[in-house]
Amino acid sequence: MPAFLRGVVPVLIAIAVLAVLQLVLGGLPFFVYIASIVGVNVILAVSLNIVNGMTGQFSIGHAGFMAVGAYTAGKLSLLLKDVAISGLPGVVSDQVQFLGTLIAGGIAAAICGFLVGLPSLRLRGDYLAIVTLGFGEIIRVVVQNLEVFGRALGLSGIPQTSSFFAVWFCVFLVVLVARRIVGSTHGRSLWAIREDEVAAEAMGVDTTGYKVRAFVISSFFAGVAGGLFAHFVPIINPGSFTFVKSIEVVVMVVAGGLGSTTGAIVAAVVLTLLPEALRTLFLQLGGLDTGASLAQKVDQIRMPIYGILLVILMLVRPQGLFGTREIWDVLPRWIPRARKGIT
Amino acid sequence: MSGELLLEAVQAGIEFGGLRALHGFDLEIRRGDLKGLIGPNGAGKTTAFNLLTGVYVPTHGEIRVGGERVNGRKPHQINRLGLARTFQNIRLFRGLTALDNVRVACLSDERPVFSRERIDGVRRRSSGRSPVAQVMDALNNYVDWWRAILLTPGFQAEEDELTRRAEELLKVMGLSHRRDEEARNLPYGEQRRLEIARALGTRPKVLLLDEPAAGMNTREKGDLMVLIRQLRDQFSLGILVIEHDMKLVMGICEDITVLDHGVTIARGVPERVRQDPKVIEAYLGDSYLASQGLPVPPQAPTSETPVT
Repeated sequence: MPAFLRGVVPVLIAIAVLAVLQLVLGGLPFFVYIASIVGVNVILAVSLNIVNGMTGQFSIGHAGFMAVGAYTAGKLSLLLKDVAISGLPGVVSDQVQFLGTLIAGGIAAAICGFLVGLPSLRLRGDYLAIVTLGFGEIIRVVVQNLEVFGRALGLSGIPQTSSFFAVWFCVFLVVLVARRIVGSTHGRSLWAIREDEVAAEAMGVDTTGYKVRAFVISSFFAGVAGGLFAHFVPIINPGSFTFVKSIEVVVMVVAGGLGSTTGAIVAAVVLTLLPEALRTLFLQLGGLDTGASLAQKVDQIRMPIYGILLVILMLVRPQGLFGTREIWDVLPRWIPRARKGIT
Repeated sequence: MSGELLLEAVQAGIEFGGLRALHGFDLEIRRGDLKGLIGPNGAGKTTAFNLLTGVYVPTHGEIRVGGERVNGRKPHQINRLGLARTFQNIRLFRGLTALDNVRVACLSDERPVFSRERIDGVRRRSSGRSPVAQVMDALNNYVDWWRAILLTPGFQAEEDELTRRAEELLKVMGLSHRRDEEARNLPYGEQRRLEIARALGTRPKVLLLDEPAAGMNTREKGDLMVLIRQLRDQFSLGILVIEHDMKLVMGICEDITVLDHGVTIARGVPERVRQDPKVIEAYLGDSYLASQGLPVPPQAPTSETPVT
C-alpha cells in the first residue's frame, strides 16, 4: 500500500462499515442506547490506558475530565439549540453543531489536563493520583454549585443528536490514535518511561513533556466521551461523574491489562454489559416482585459481584486479561502492525 | 592527543546535607580520549557520573559540555548535547525488544515545524530561558505527534530511518540475532552490550560507561576491552570508564583518575597511578603499605568530615 494511503484507508473503511451498521441497527433505540454507553466506556478506558498503561502513571480522575467535556458540550448545545446554520438542512446543521460541541468539550478537557498534568507530572510517584483524585472531586463540587450548570439538578433538554455512528466512530478514532502512538517513536518513548524513567531521561527522552502530552491526549478523549454522553442521556448531573465512575474506568484498564488497548476495550465492554446481563439473567430466573425493585436489587449486588470478579481476576491473572499483548499481534500478516514497533 | 574538548568538569562538587559526596572534581574529555575513573566502593565514582549527566545538580563548580555550561540542565537536554551513559546496575527497558531499546534512544533530530538550529538560535540570542523557543519547541512536539497519528509519509520515512540506524547499532554490538527478543530475556553480557548500543543510539560524542565489565567472565572482559577501543575509533568518541577491574582499566585507559571519599587522590597514566602510595593505601589499607616497608601517606580528608 502506498505510504500516503496507509494513513487514511482505515478511516475510510471504518466510516463505510459504521454507516452500514447505522442504517441496519440505528432504528433500535434500546440497542443504540446500550451501544452508546458501552462506546463511551470504551473511549474512557482506551484513553486512560494511554496514561495508566502505556506511560505507567496513575491517574484516577478520569470522570472529572469526562465531566468537563460533558458540561462544556452540553451547555454549548443548549445555547445553540435554537440556532441553525443557514444554507444547511436542519439535520446536517444539528450534526455540525454536535461535532463542534464535541471538539469544544474535548479541548476544554485537554486544557484542564494540561493544567493538572504540568505541575504533577514533573514529579515521580503517586502525586498524579492524588492530584487527579482532587481534580475529579473539585470539578464535581464546582458544577454542583454553579447556576449555569443547573447545580445538583444538572442539565436537561440537551438535543439528543448523538447516534450509534457518532459514538462508535469516536471509539474507532481513539483506538486508532492509541495504536498509532504505540507504534511510533512517541509510543516507544512512553513505554520507556513506564519501564524505567531514569534511563529514559538519560537517553534523551523529555520525560515530563511526554507524560504531559500523553495526559493531554487522554484528557481530550475523556472530554469527547463526556460530550457524547451528554447527547444521548436525557439528563446529565454531577452524580454521573463521581469518584466511583473514575474507579470504574481504572478497573477496566487494570482488568484488561495495563498497556493493552485490546484489554481496555474488552474489559470496558464486558464490565459495562455485566449489569445488563445480570438483569436479564434475574428476569429469566423468575426475578422478584416487580420490575422496579428487581432493577434496584440487581443494582445493589452489582458492586459486590464486580468486586468478587476483580479479586478473582487479580488472583488468577495479576497482569490483567491481556497483559500487554494486543489482538493485532496475532492477526494475519497482511494487516499492518503497529504494536511496540514491530513494523 | 589533543582532540576537540567535549566534556569538562571544573572543581565540580556536590553535598548531600553535610556529606561531601564529591569535592573539587576536575575532568577533561577530548575526542579520542579513553579515560578511567576508579576508586574503592563509595568513593563517589557514580556520583561523578550523575553530576556529569545532570541527574544531580552540582552544588559547586561547573560542568561544561562542548564549552557550554550545563549546570541545572535536565538529563535529557544534556544527553542531546552529546553525552550518553550506561548504568552500573543495568537499566534497560526490560519489557521492550532489543531493537526498541535502541530505537527509543534513536530520537529523530528532524523537527517538523522549526528546525533545531533555528530554535537553538533563538535560545542563544535571548541568552537563557526563552518563552519563544519554548513555544516553538512545544509546537514541534505536538505537530510531531499529529504526524504520528495521521501516519504521514514523511513520518513513516523517518521511522524507517530510525529502524535502520538501530539495526546497524545492534549489528555493531553483535546483537542482530536478538533483535525481536525482550531485553529481560537476554543473557547478562548481552544486556550490557545492549545498554552500550542504546547509548550509542543517541549519537553521543562522549560515552560514559559505568562498570561495563561487572559480572562478566575473563573472556567476556577481554572482548569488551577490544570492543571499547573499537567503538572509540569507529564513532570517534571520547570515553570515560568507571571500573573495578584493575586489569581492564589499566589495560585500556590512557589516563586514570582515582577517587577516594569524594576527593581526587591521583591522576595520570596507568603505570604511575598503580605505584602511587595513596592509591595503594586507598585500595589495600596502610597495614599493607607498612608490611611492604612503604611510607604511609598522611590521612586524606574523608567524606565524614563535616563541612564547616
